Amino acid sequence: MSTISTALRNFKEPTKEQLTQIFFSLPSVGSLDGTEKTPAQEVEKMDINAVLSLGVQGEEDAYAGKLYIMSPYLAFASLDRKSVRFTIPLSTIRRVERLNARAGIYALSLSTWHGAKIIVQLTSLRPTADLFCSLLRDALKIELQRGQMRAVKGFVKTCYSEALVSTTSHVADNEREDGSLISEEKDDPTPRESTYHGGLGLKFKFPGDPKKLREASKIKLWTQYLRAHGRNLTLLRYPQCTRLVQVGLPNRLRGEMWETLSGSIYLRFSNPGFYEQLLEKNTGRTTTSTEDIEKDLHRSLPEYAGYQSGEGISALRRVLQAYSFKNPELGYCQAMNILAAAILIYMSEEQAFWLLEVLCDRLLPGYYAPSMHGTLLDQRVFEALVQRCLPIIHEHFQDVDVQLSVASLPWFLSLYINSMPMIFAFRIVDCFFCMGPKVLFQVGSPSSIQQHPEEADALFSAILKINGEKLLQIQDDGGFLNLMRDYFASLGDSAHPDSPDPRARAITRFQELLLVSFREFSVITDEMILSERRRFRSEIIHSIESFSKRSAIRNLKSLGRFTKEQAGLVYDALYKAMCIVPPPPDVVPPPALVAAGDVGTEEKPETRIELRTFQFFLSEIATWARDERIVSNGFQRRVDREIAEHEFIDRLFFFWDTSCRGALSFQDLILGLDGVIFNDLMENIEWFFNLHDKNKDGFLTKDEVLTLSETFLFIFRYEVGDAYLGAVSRFMTNAFEYGDALLPPPEGVQINEQGGETPPAVPTNQPYLNLATFRMVVLADEVLESFFETDLSASFRLEPLPEMELPVSSSGLLGDIWSTIATDNNKKMFNMFTDEIGKTIGKHQVVHRPSIGRYTKLEEPKARESLLTPGMRHSASKSSLSAESTKTVATSTSSTLSVDTTATTGKASLPSSGSGFSPLPMLHAANIALMERTPFAIDDAKDDEDESDEDLDGGENDDQVMDEVDAFLEAHDSGLTDADKEVAKDLLTAEPVK
Amino acid sequence: MADPAASGSVDKSVQVKLVLLGEAAVGKSSVVLRFVSNEFQANKEPTIGAAFLTQKCRLEDRVLRYEIWDTAGQERFHSLAPMYYRNAQAAVVVYDVTKATSLEKAKSWVKELQRQANPNIVIALAGNKVDLVQASASSPGAPSSSESEDEADDATATPGETPGASEPESLRQVPREEAQAYATEAGLLFFETSAKTGEGIVDIFTEIAKKIPIEHILAATRGAAGRPGGAGGRAGAQAEGSVNLDSTTKPKDACNC
Repeated sequence: MSTISTALRNFKEPTKEQLTQIFFSLPSVGSLDGTEKTPAQEVEKMDINAVLSLGVQGEEDAYAGKLYIMSPYLAFASLDRKSVRFTIPLSTIRRVERLNARAGIYALSLSTWHGAKIIVQLTSLRPTADLFCSLLRDALKIELQRGQMRAVKGFVKTCYSEALVSTTSHVADNEREDGSLISEEKDDPTPRESTYHGGLGLKFKFPGDPKKLREASKIKLWTQYLRAHGRNLTLLRYPQCTRLVQVGLPNRLRGEMWETLSGSIYLRFSNPGFYEQLLEKNTGRTTTSTEDIEKDLHRSLPEYAGYQSGEGISALRRVLQAYSFKNPELGYCQAMNILAAAILIYMSEEQAFWLLEVLCDRLLPGYYAPSMHGTLLDQRVFEALVQRCLPIIHEHFQDVDVQLSVASLPWFLSLYINSMPMIFAFRIVDCFFCMGPKVLFQVGSPSSIQQHPEEADALFSAILKINGEKLLQIQDDGGFLNLMRDYFASLGDSAHPDSPDPRARAITRFQELLLVSFREFSVITDEMILSERRRFRSEIIHSIESFSKRSAIRNLKSLGRFTKEQAGLVYDALYKAMCIVPPPPDVVPPPALVAAGDVGTEEKPETRIELRTFQFFLSEIATWARDERIVSNGFQRRVDREIAEHEFIDRLFFFWDTSCRGALSFQDLILGLDGVIFNDLMENIEWFFNLHDKNKDGFLTKDEVLTLSETFLFIFRYEVGDAYLGAVSRFMTNAFEYGDALLPPPEGVQINEQGGETPPAVPTNQPYLNLATFRMVVLADEVLESFFETDLSASFRLEPLPEMELPVSSSGLLGDIWSTIATDNNKKMFNMFTDEIGKTIGKHQVVHRPSIGRYTKLEEPKARESLLTPGMRHSASKSSLSAESTKTVATSTSSTLSVDTTATTGKASLPSSGSGFSPLPMLHAANIALMERTPFAIDDAKDDEDESDEDLDGGENDDQVMDEVDAFLEAHDSGLTDADKEVAKDLLTAEPVK
Repeated sequence: MADPAASGSVDKSVQVKLVLLGEAAVGKSSVVLRFVSNEFQANKEPTIGAAFLTQKCRLEDRVLRYEIWDTAGQERFHSLAPMYYRNAQAAVVVYDVTKATSLEKAKSWVKELQRQANPNIVIALAGNKVDLVQASASSPGAPSSSESEDEADDATATPGETPGASEPESLRQVPREEAQAYATEAGLLFFETSAKTGEGIVDIFTEIAKKIPIEHILAATRGAAGRPGGAGGRAGAQAEGSVNLDSTTKPKDACNC
């Protein structure tokens, strides 16, 4: 439920090379884990101008175009990118010869496995052609070594087209329009059935009446075409091929042609056995996806006989499960069951598996993803296209508030299967896999990503157009849907029932639809869709993100004391942190769980972040959890922000991890912040105490007291002036003193009874200081009191984050240039460069922004009157500022080093001596850490004084430093709030104490 | 469906937009199908996006025209739901009495509707597939003798734990009392239903019809759709008081389906 995904932000526009690959339906390299591809053997990609002609004289015209070598494939597209194209695996090329031709002509003859002879004339310059040939030679050699050449023979046997072509001409000639196909089926020698892949249709019949569909004629035409132009792996697509597809593929060939046209055949070819192995590896595995699949198995084309049998159901189960195992992030989305069920009628499980892969991955990108962003995006694009192409309908829909997508979304998702009568839907699917080469000559590579949705768009536009008048009468979504439903139901009817011409009457509405689609909406081009997608992508991503934000907040079990808006700010910080420091996949629940994100499981998957992400998150919220340096170098002023690392932050992480999972959910963060951000003085003190009380026994050990002091030092590390240093020193002194004083036997007033304390010497890991004492120690100091009263809570700031930039979608040339320039690296370099210049001209300044920023000068706020008896508080008094108490309280001055020595060695009362415990090293470390702060003007000044002068509150030193502080305040707005500034101002004018 | 109202004058009917929500495969579409055409299909294809159906329903002298949006249940379709429940006047949130998690999902839908949807929305909670947990496996057919052909195995009932004849009551994962208590607390109408036998289906829509603030709808749609304002006012006047009166009316009669 509350999974938070940053996946959408990782979107990258495909590169030109990728677009070419997509155009040629090539499998993306390295997309599969099971392949034994050796990248070392990669051959450079290259394209070259070429003229293609078919070896059979007179069969086809010659076409000019581009020949691509993208090992292990050779591809060609004619100049218009739609008339002629092929993609053939190099391993099917049996022979390459340089042709003897007239001078100046460089031509190659390629013979394919199927005996087709392709002649390509390389029309580029001679050296280019030579280079191309040598690349081709190398690539072929590699294929030979890989043994792929041998694989071809076995592979093609799985293709029905081989059986079709190899049968004597008798089968094809046998064609009669009276359903001769059925008789042919009976004649088919059975052994062949076992070699080629086929779908459920072979056993359970294909939908539709073969006679009406004129199966036999289609088969005959295709047999002729395939014989001359190659088939399956080596199919050459000439205009005739597209025309044949448009009139509808014959049932028995349909599966294979889908596979070939979509390019999934290359995946099946190059990954033999993958499907079976995948299933075997995951036998018996259940995930939320498999559970969802089970629910839908009987609900996928239930009226088809094949899915009323165990055979069909289990094939469907295997295919869907295999895909969900292969792509656990996507898992399973309803509508995939319908697609899979449809294609399984025409193809084998393995074929269907690969086709599903191509569909989800390339043809319908993001359609079935958990966020369904692809669907939403294309709906938006579609709406924009309707606006452009059918403005009248668009306006009408706007007027009556009808959303196109209520109708179009399901159709896009299920490719019209189960919206239209099946036989028509399958014809649309035919075109979907084949069509699209809407060609673009302009800049920017056309890509087949768009071809298919475009085609669907065109189709849908046609639907809208044909129904134009009726559409203008509808008043609401419901009416729209009903109209569309009725129209689809009538697709088989005559488009011109009243026409006197019988031929016109014979035209069905479906034919009319296809004609209008392809003829009138050819204006919808690939490029148009590509650019519309770019235009709307960020809008869609934003709306998806804000939707998931709203539901994440709604799904919180408790908001604590936060308002929804505040929770939203916490979410933003979390989201940003997740974008920048993505949680490793093993921390979020197993991918399969996330992917399905479904409610079926007992434990709902929940996004949790681990420490690294938490550090970033906290740095967004808490001022002390980040190191902010204000850098000015004369050219620019910028704030460099880094994530602070400190044991305290880790401590906080585990403190908030109440369910002890080593990772925090959004809910944990909300409750954690709730525990501190709204606190008053006493609550804050208790919170801080509990945070450091590791074993929750109500006592801090001495070690913990020291850790706590370190925390103080960490939080105060960038504060201007020494007030906080002093306060921490006093805190330590007082804590140990009070702690000792309150040990039994008690002396003086005791605030709290302390049971069970026996010896005066307390080991460092034993209970030592309880909350009451801690509170007393804290309240004894004005600085700490104000810290706990307001500053601690205020240091958690929920501020609106600036909109995060979406990944740059490089639109056009300028976008490309800009995105290459404006990289983070370059920004860093620029910053460094200006810094250097700044240094040389003496204008480089770096100031750490304080986390609290209450005190802006060196004035020492006075320590409180202690609650303890005067006898006990000799060190806790404000004597820090007086000369006579320096022997104990050098501590409280800023010269912390000397403090430690006096504190530890000078005090007999400290438990250290007795127990052999020495806080010295710890304090030392703390102070070293303190001293290691980035050099800061004030520190420098102070360090000097440490040598010579113990009496810090002598006015003149302060004044000098104050001037500098003032200077900073003027020059660099330290990010103080107005209230803080007020305080700061007051302090500036305040008299030094004493 | 010889329903005179369905084919009759549109102008007199009050349009009520109703949306069905709930986890996948709890039987949302089946509930609608039962209500709209009094049919049951054992293997209903999952809804992609949403389906749209209408049904008229007579309540006293008013005719309600339900425009039913039957949404997809799978989690990832969730983000589409606002498109369908916007402006809805009523919602039926369905869960499966044999599946405890489906009630959780239903609760989260209710929460979402109460925060995001039309503030006056009437929400009904329906625990579906109650036929699977009714004690006598042999004689639940009593109210549904006409549908013997539909008694084929209900595949939408989580396969694997197919409801055999053995102890049907053990299949129940959501006690009626628990759901009822939740519904009362959240201010929902509550029904246990079976799309298969038809039990409780009509009651949902009848009760919703009684609870709908008709006058609001009329006020909102008047003018825009050009309906006679007088009719709206008349219907509106009775909307509030009709609940008690109608309790005597048999639900089957109240709805012409």
